[in-house]
Amino acid sequence: MIIEVKNLKKTYEGRVPTHALKNINFGIKKGEFVALMGRSGSGKSTLLHQLGLLDTPTSGEIIMNGNNLVLLDEKKKSEFRLKELGYVFQSYALLPELTALESVYLPLMLLGVTKKEYIKKASEMLDKVGLGDRLQHLPREMSGGEQQRVAIARALVNSPAILFADEPTANLDTESSEVILKLFKKLNKEIGQTIVMVTHEPDDKKYVDRVIWLKDGVIES
Amino acid sequence: MNLKTSFFLAYTSIKRGSKGTLVMTILIMTLAYVNLVFISSIFGGIVEAINKESINNQYSNIVIEPEIDKKYIDNKDAIQLIDTVPGIIASSAHYIDSTSISYDEYNDGNDIKKGKWVLKSIDIEDEVKVTEVHNSMIEGSYLESTDRDQIIIGKEIAGGHGGSLEHLSLGGVSVGDKIDVSFSNNIKRTYTVKGIFSVKSTQVDQMAFITKKEMESVLKVHNLASEILVKIDNVGEENIYINEIRNLGLRNEDIKRWDELMGFTSSASSSFIMISLILGIIGTIVAGVTIFIIIFVSVVNKRRQIGILKAIGMRESTIILSFVVQALFYAIVGIVLGVSFILFVLRPLFLANPLDFPVGWVSLKVTFNIIRISNISLLLASLVGGFFPAFRGARESILKSIWG
Ligand SMILES: Nc1ncnc2c1ncn2[C@@H]1O[C@H](COP(=O)(O)OP(=O)(O)OP(=O)(O)O)[C@@H](O)[C@H]1O
Ligand SMILES: [Mg+2]
Repeated sequence: MIIEVKNLKKTYEGRVPTHALKNINFGIKKGEFVALMGRSGSGKSTLLHQLGLLDTPTSGEIIMNGNNLVLLDEKKKSEFRLKELGYVFQSYALLPELTALESVYLPLMLLGVTKKEYIKKASEMLDKVGLGDRLQHLPREMSGGEQQRVAIARALVNSPAILFADEPTANLDTESSEVILKLFKKLNKEIGQTIVMVTHEPDDKKYVDRVIWLKDGVIES
Repeated sequence: MNLKTSFFLAYTSIKRGSKGTLVMTILIMTLAYVNLVFISSIFGGIVEAINKESINNQYSNIVIEPEIDKKYIDNKDAIQLIDTVPGIIASSAHYIDSTSISYDEYNDGNDIKKGKWVLKSIDIEDEVKVTEVHNSMIEGSYLESTDRDQIIIGKEIAGGHGGSLEHLSLGGVSVGDKIDVSFSNNIKRTYTVKGIFSVKSTQVDQMAFITKKEMESVLKVHNLASEILVKIDNVGEENIYINEIRNLGLRNEDIKRWDELMGFTSSASSSFIMISLILGIIGTIVAGVTIFIIIFVSVVNKRRQIGILKAIGMRESTIILSFVVQALFYAIVGIVLGVSFILFVLRPLFLANPLDFPVGWVSLKVTFNIIRISNISLLLASLVGGFFPAFRGARESILKSIWG
């Protein structure tokens, strides 16, 4: 197991507390491509945020390499996100002032890699996602699909143990969506990238190894 | 904290962000800076004008007065030696007498205007090296060594020249008019007004001068002095010279620096310094608040980006620093432009056209110290003004930043 979840609960406090995740237990194997599916409001995004250390669960454990990540302090979590986790958000979460190349080498820069090295690695990564000829483009000079591929390159450039994606194709047309999903599949096959992807599309099932179904904050199967 | 990334993000957002905002921000910082330097410099200029006026027309740098209970400085040998001290440019000995001066305009014994004024005697050759009164004649001319029955008077004595004590004046004496002077030893003499002077000091404008020879003939003394003004090379080193003067033998005389004698004017100066300090602090706070607003708006606009940066593993401190670097950049550019504007535009303009203040001719006194303090103030203001909004923005949780 590359990641294991034990008794994970997330309750959003409020006037009426929402039990978004009720008691989640599962594991994901290294090299798996998993889809998280379920109705709207079933808790898919909430689960992904907990796994990705973007949020703190109400209780439970998230175990990687034998460590309970929930217990890490903010600095350690931040370092862990940088080194071990990658994210792709629904809308292309790029900085408008950075070129494709700069966006992708930013995480490497944070790791303290030399300039020569980070330019080389980021260029290669952009090549891999089919944007070898868009290195100097700013987000506003690229299509939605291209921006999303830049975001994928940025998420993968540090060779994360797991790539998380929350409805990465929701804002794209069918064709661009297919490019992204095929890219995920390719990365999963070629470099054995572990991927956890939230999706609404029943059709996406054909790309993944396994589907985890969520219903009202509980795993169904 | 990752310095390189902070600078990189600051650099890209300055370079690729809105040019209009950048220009406006830099303009505001430049103005804030010019404001800081200008206020201190103009008040510095006022204080300097006050000091200059006192030094040039009234006290020079050092004033020697007789021992307590003595009427004159009578150590003639020592007086002769003052000018030989290296660094002392010149000295000028005065006799001082309280006199009563009267003016009978129609020479008919009616409507005689009179008043009490200080009359001093001067040795012309020495005096012109020490004071500037000879350059301030508004009517007629200065005394010459050979003059005996001639007198020069300040505009407050003459009247008719817009002085502030017009009601106490002789009511409009002109060059060539004859005035009667009654000395404290009851000797009376009549003098022809040779010139009228006007300086910025009302005190000096209430004085009259005759030559040393003339005064000695009235007072029946020789080579003594009621006071000696001493002009030195390096203003600020008065105490050193006072010591040297004492060593010449003037041990018990009352020797003072010009600034000790200024009294009222000096307390006016310190009020100006106080006002300038308060305005400077307000200016710094305004600059800090301006930077705060600029960075705050930027942080609000980049809220989602901040969340994303944190999601990919950037430390809060790196994010905060990137905003602080931006704030410092605006401040530094503001300082560079501000300094250039002040040194190459404002200062030359003021030097060429000093302002005519009641205390003297005021121009901008831009000192290295003012520049340094203003630099530090603006940098500190932008450091603080940049830090707080960035800190708040960076501390927000990732999910909130990204999805509200
Ligand atoms: N910040 C929040 N505060 C309060 N309740 C929340 C918050 N975020 C999510 N919820 C609630 O938690 C539940 C799960 O939400 P979540 O976003 O995980 O659903 P989802 O499965 O991702 O849905 P969708 O497919 O629409 O994205 C929902 O009932 C939602 O209203
Ligand atoms: Mg969701």
